[in-house]
Amino acid sequence: MQNIEAIGIGQNHYLILSAIIFSIGIMGVLFRKNIIMMLMSLELMLNAINLTFIAFGYFNGNLNGQIMVFFVMTLAAAEAAIGLAIAVMIYRKFNEVNIRYFEQMKG
Amino acid sequence: MSTFIISNLWFYVLALSLIFFAFKVVTSANPIHSALHLVLTMMGVAGLFFHLNAQFIAGVQVIVYAGAVMVLFVMVLMLFDLKHEFNAFAKGLVSGFLKLMSVALVVGYLVGVFLESGESKGVKASLTTSGDQTSTQLQVTRDLAQLLYTKYVLVFEVLGVLLLVVAIGAVAISRIQGGTHAKH
Amino acid sequence: MGSDIFEFSINGLKIIIIFMMMVQIVPLLVWVERRGSAYIQNRFGPNRVGPLGLTQLLADAVKFLTKEEFVPQGSYKFFFYLAPVVALIPAALAFGAIPLSIPIQVEAFTMMGRNWGPYTFPFQSFELGLGVVFVLGASSLAAYALLLAGYGSNNKYSLFGALRASAQTISYELSMGLSIVGVLLVYNTFNFTEMVAQQSGPLAFKFLGNDLLISWLPNWGIFYQPLGAILLFAAFFAETNRLPFDLPEAEGELVAGYHTEYGGFKMNMFYIGEYGHMLVASALMTTFFFGGYTLYPWLTPESLNQALSSFSPTQASLITAFSLHLVFLVKVLFFLWIFIHVRWTLPRFRYDQLMDLGWKTMLPWSLVNAIVTAVIIVLMRSHWS
Repeated sequence: MQNIEAIGIGQNHYLILSAIIFSIGIMGVLFRKNIIMMLMSLELMLNAINLTFIAFGYFNGNLNGQIMVFFVMTLAAAEAAIGLAIAVMIYRKFNEVNIRYFEQMKG
Repeated sequence: MSTFIISNLWFYVLALSLIFFAFKVVTSANPIHSALHLVLTMMGVAGLFFHLNAQFIAGVQVIVYAGAVMVLFVMVLMLFDLKHEFNAFAKGLVSGFLKLMSVALVVGYLVGVFLESGESKGVKASLTTSGDQTSTQLQVTRDLAQLLYTKYVLVFEVLGVLLLVVAIGAVAISRIQGGTHAKH
Repeated sequence: MGSDIFEFSINGLKIIIIFMMMVQIVPLLVWVERRGSAYIQNRFGPNRVGPLGLTQLLADAVKFLTKEEFVPQGSYKFFFYLAPVVALIPAALAFGAIPLSIPIQVEAFTMMGRNWGPYTFPFQSFELGLGVVFVLGASSLAAYALLLAGYGSNNKYSLFGALRASAQTISYELSMGLSIVGVLLVYNTFNFTEMVAQQSGPLAFKFLGNDLLISWLPNWGIFYQPLGAILLFAAFFAETNRLPFDLPEAEGELVAGYHTEYGGFKMNMFYIGEYGHMLVASALMTTFFFGGYTLYPWLTPESLNQALSSFSPTQASLITAFSLHLVFLVKVLFFLWIFIHVRWTLPRFRYDQLMDLGWKTMLPWSLVNAIVTAVIIVLMRSHWS
């Protein structure tokens, strides 16, 4: 038998895992009606992307992947803050967070 | 075969629990259940980062993402006091089916790209010496800092300005006229 | 965890003992608090149950354990049961990463006909290269216990208390992180053991190209970061929800805040978590600023090893480790006494005063501290020819 211990966890394992989590995130954004749920699914997608960056960085011996994750994480936190502020304002005015009510731009 | 599974068991356990938690994030009826499962997902991702020789990024993920951003999400959800969403998912069979098919297409495309692209990189040669010793964890952090402050210093400063703008913008969006001490 | 069964079992035992250390210090602290507060307020504390009232806590524990288990009607049962556990876990994890003494070196010996090789047992639950980052991360997870308790109780006072408490926690985490940045700039490492090793010498620093040495003062962090120490200590008061920042648990205003609906042992677990966080805060203060487990002129690893050179290496290492651990415990108990003393001396902050203090005073001062530290380090350590 070949050297089975050499079959370790390769780059493809991490990439497929992050692809699955990314698509679960897309499912969340498409299927949920609550604004906050859509923001959370967006965070899930960003986490999958971070995993991809670090996996590429590790398997190519490059630290630029980790630097990118720094920046992506910072931007994700900023965007979550603004998204939540907007959601709070919408709830305060309309008392409703279901996006189906806001689909038609009227008034 | 058994050595293969046992030495990589940690990855499969972590990966499968991550997929389970992510699925529960998207399909829970109670938004707070989703938020808490998202916290668990982020901790799982931090665990994977730890094994990919990115221990500092794993720590930052726990501090920033799971410890501050998600606390903010849970706080806002508790303020809203939403009842269970009985109709949590989008209505309509045809549009639902189209959305599901598009997601399946994206998954298939991504997975196909990875599986067909060139040679698959296996285990790195230095896997056994990296990440578990305390000195290498510090060395990776020092190299990261070196890179961040010399090659990417412009991006760093721009992100600082962006965070300032975001902080002021968030306060400006959601402020009450006259401040919190105003009389209504 | 270990390469063979001896190391494995010793490491496992060590993790359990350190966790029990955190849990068992709670009765002692509660006794000190009740008697100490009583003397501050010119009355007696509990003094009937045992000698000096020491077994009062044992009686309290029995009382807690035999109370009725109840869950409020209409609450989310899973969150209600989960919150006390989540209150306990971050404190235990953070305490495990802080070194309590120098590692114990055991020489090779034979027992039961087998050669057990030389071992080194670090005097902490697990040794991490990035100890500071781990402790900060574990502390920031403590906000979830408050939120889960408040939400799972189906009680609007609990919910308000929980929201206030978690907003306070994440506001003061910023000042805490920035003060720790000042400390990291001075020591240039994330590892606690290296930080303590740097503090076990005489006070020596370069200043504008000259080397200054003051041989009668130890190289403690408090001389390098006085403002950072004060800010960090104040931020720790807010993180652990102790007075003067304890509006979330205020009895008068919020009917005991987020743990209103808890009784019996679940309430006790919240207190174990709070005292555990106090213990972690005191341990961090001693490790960063007051020399950790060393005391320069008399009790450093080198001087003790020299003094004990007549014993065998294993015994010398054990005696050194335990005496340095005593030094650490004395310092930690001093800081715990300051926590308790401040609680019964200062009045409570109002919530908007609390948030103003966190964002408008401590955050700017922490930023100034970090910037001034960086500038001074560049001035001091650069090469002047």
